[in-house]
Amino acid sequence: MMRVASVGPPLLGGVLLIMGWGALAAVLRGGHLVAGPAEVAGWIAANPGLLGRALGKTLTNATLGFLAGNLVAIALAGVAMIWPRLLNLISGLALVVFCLPLIATGPILRVLMGPGDGPQIVLAALAVYYTTLIPLLTGLRATPAVWLDLVHSYGRGRWSELIHVRARAALPYLFAGLQIAAPAAFLGAMVGEFTGAEQGMGVLTIRFMRALDVPALWAIAVVAAAVSMVVYGAIGAVARMVLHDRPPVILSPPRGKPVSGLSRLFQPALLIAAVLVLWWAGMALPGMNPFFAKSPQDVLAALTTAPQAAATRDTLWTALTETAVFLLPGYVAGLMLGAGLAIALVLVPNLSTLVMPIAVALRSVPIVTTAPLIVLFLGRGALGTISLVAAMVFFPTLVACLHGMRQAPGQILDVFHIYAAGRLRQMAHIRIPAMLPAFFAAARMSVPAAILAVTVVEWLTTGRGLGSLMALSASVSDYNMLWAAVAVVTTISALCYAGVAAIERRILFVYAPEQVRP
Amino acid sequence: MAESQGCARIECTGLGKSFPGALRAVTPLDVTFQPGATTALVGPSGCGKSTLLRLIAGLEDPSEGKVLIDDLPPVRQAARGAISVAFQDPSLLPWLTVRANVALARKLARQSPDPTLVDELIGLVGLSGSEKTRPAALSGGMRQRAAIARALATQPRILLLDEPFGAVDELTRRQLARDLPPLWQSRGTTTLLVTHSIHEAVTLADRILVLSPRPARIVADIAVPLPHPRDAHGADFRALLTRTSKALAQGDADNAPMAAQ
Ligand SMILES: Nc1ncnc2c1ncn2[C@@H]1O[C@H](COP(=O)(O)OP(=O)(O)O)[C@@H](O)[C@H]1O
Ligand SMILES: [Mg+2]
Repeated sequence: MMRVASVGPPLLGGVLLIMGWGALAAVLRGGHLVAGPAEVAGWIAANPGLLGRALGKTLTNATLGFLAGNLVAIALAGVAMIWPRLLNLISGLALVVFCLPLIATGPILRVLMGPGDGPQIVLAALAVYYTTLIPLLTGLRATPAVWLDLVHSYGRGRWSELIHVRARAALPYLFAGLQIAAPAAFLGAMVGEFTGAEQGMGVLTIRFMRALDVPALWAIAVVAAAVSMVVYGAIGAVARMVLHDRPPVILSPPRGKPVSGLSRLFQPALLIAAVLVLWWAGMALPGMNPFFAKSPQDVLAALTTAPQAAATRDTLWTALTETAVFLLPGYVAGLMLGAGLAIALVLVPNLSTLVMPIAVALRSVPIVTTAPLIVLFLGRGALGTISLVAAMVFFPTLVACLHGMRQAPGQILDVFHIYAAGRLRQMAHIRIPAMLPAFFAAARMSVPAAILAVTVVEWLTTGRGLGSLMALSASVSDYNMLWAAVAVVTTISALCYAGVAAIERRILFVYAPEQVRP
Repeated sequence: MAESQGCARIECTGLGKSFPGALRAVTPLDVTFQPGATTALVGPSGCGKSTLLRLIAGLEDPSEGKVLIDDLPPVRQAARGAISVAFQDPSLLPWLTVRANVALARKLARQSPDPTLVDELIGLVGLSGSEKTRPAALSGGMRQRAAIARALATQPRILLLDEPFGAVDELTRRQLARDLPPLWQSRGTTTLLVTHSIHEAVTLADRILVLSPRPARIVADIAVPLPHPRDAHGADFRALLTRTSKALAQGDADNAPMAAQ
């Protein structure tokens, strides 16, 4: 059995990637699309100061955001453990904040916090906290009842549960979250730099994209990817040292208590009320300028009673359809390719020794930072955008599905071996059902990621859709439109997430009931 | 807190437990466990033995009636570190070594660390040399023995053992049955032992309660007035074995018409 996260494969993956990249550059030489390894190395050697300063800046911001976001996640998870009643509200609010489109949050934070590094750090924190919070909550609650009985039998309560059992039992899940968070923090910091910073990898990306400086763009993407891979690997290594085991790959769904009919309606209502109240209270804080700090009433008015309300709605609707056209095919393609390749790799194990290291390496790449390259390749049309969204969804899905299929219980597989059932039948009867929980976890977590990817590309390159609309509104200070877009994107994103989670519950109820029953 | 001294009397009055879905696990029971006595609970699988232990440990709330341990509810006694449970499932924490797992009980009971006692107990259950091993590397029987050591580490006044030797091989089981009881008998620990083995019950207990199939009801209350160590080939011993198995069969037969209803 292959080790997904041990040191060898990523190293091998890096070597394979560089070889493939070199071959690609050789084939496409003269097309001014691909800068080969030598060219990139040359550019890096020629511009060490520029690159070093930018990388230092972005790394600092990403690290600060990584720390802040993860501390918030750990604190929230702790609160949810001590007061379990708050669990649903906390994870609901956390989801809503996670669904905020970074493309719009960036400019808004820029106005609020002024020049400097604040917005980049906050965006990095926003990009990471959710992927830590969800596995952490799962880990904290996935403790066998007998372990807790032991604590209770000595008359101890929730604190002792948390300290002696839950915190340690959740560590593998925490590391899994942190591993994914590392590239996400880098990505968040770069998106923050896209929205008007003075220094950093994001600023360089924008500059070289305007100048169509292909070697420089490649150099930046390669450095960003390499740094992310190294951090991803380092966290994995720390995890193996601490855990004597590798961290789990799957971000399982948080399992709430079963809810009765009334609270099924009550909980979303409570969540919506909490979001509106927090939004309203935040905008009412002293020092908030009503020119850019729009409250829920303002947005509602802009969409309904204001003189240009109809025009605003039309603009939003047009942008929404333009975005959906890219988003949906990319999302579905990413899921299908990820699951499909995972199945192929299990059917043809020899293939996986080659592909798996590359996939693990690429999984840690902050995909959005490669947006300019992909668009350079595939053009500003549909193909480039769809491919980028698909890539954003593809790698987490592939890795999660492979992991899921490995979870197929060995004893059942033994039964199939005894009856000499072939790989295809094993696949249909055991592996695919075993893969489903992982597949859906990836599908769920990919919703906001896909929306982030599509809005970034729209903004950077295509000039259409919601991403472009938000960037444009920010640059012309149309804050009503900006906030309305934020509200719409966040709502849709959260609804899609909830929709995937609902399908997930139905399917898991049949195939993996232990995942959905509390 | 210092180790709790003295003997504990456990009184169950009208104690009953139903689970949601009207599943009744224990019928109202009136029974007293005398201080310092070892009582064996025998009965068919699923009759409610574990539930009874959990009620006495304060891990479940009774549906009716109550449990008092020296006139206090179990949770109060538990908070004083007076109770230890060896669960049917050994429930060792996988990230701790055997030694740390055993020591954990003292930590949870807010007792001072006592490495000498911990290592002595590990030796007594036959795990010397495995102190630094993690549970995943132990066999099922070894895990159960570690769990017994953990339960003894707090020197509890009430010791609740739920099929503690279930996965232990026959030879080790006999050796444990010889070595362990002095530990709690000498300290005057009130002990409840759930077991499937009538032989084990007659070897270890001062008293045997035979329970009916679910919901648990006391079919027979048998005193075992034999001195320790007991001679398994003696006539008295064999008579008690026969009496206990007859009572078990009787409990089954009594319940048969009820089950048919
Ligand atoms: N938490 C629970 N919820 C529902 N039913 C339970 C629960 N715990 C035990 N039971 C049921 O109560 C009965 C007695 O269980 P238990 O006390 O574990 O039996 P024993 O230990 O004698 O084998 C069983 O039928 C079991 O299914
Ligand atoms: Mg039991």
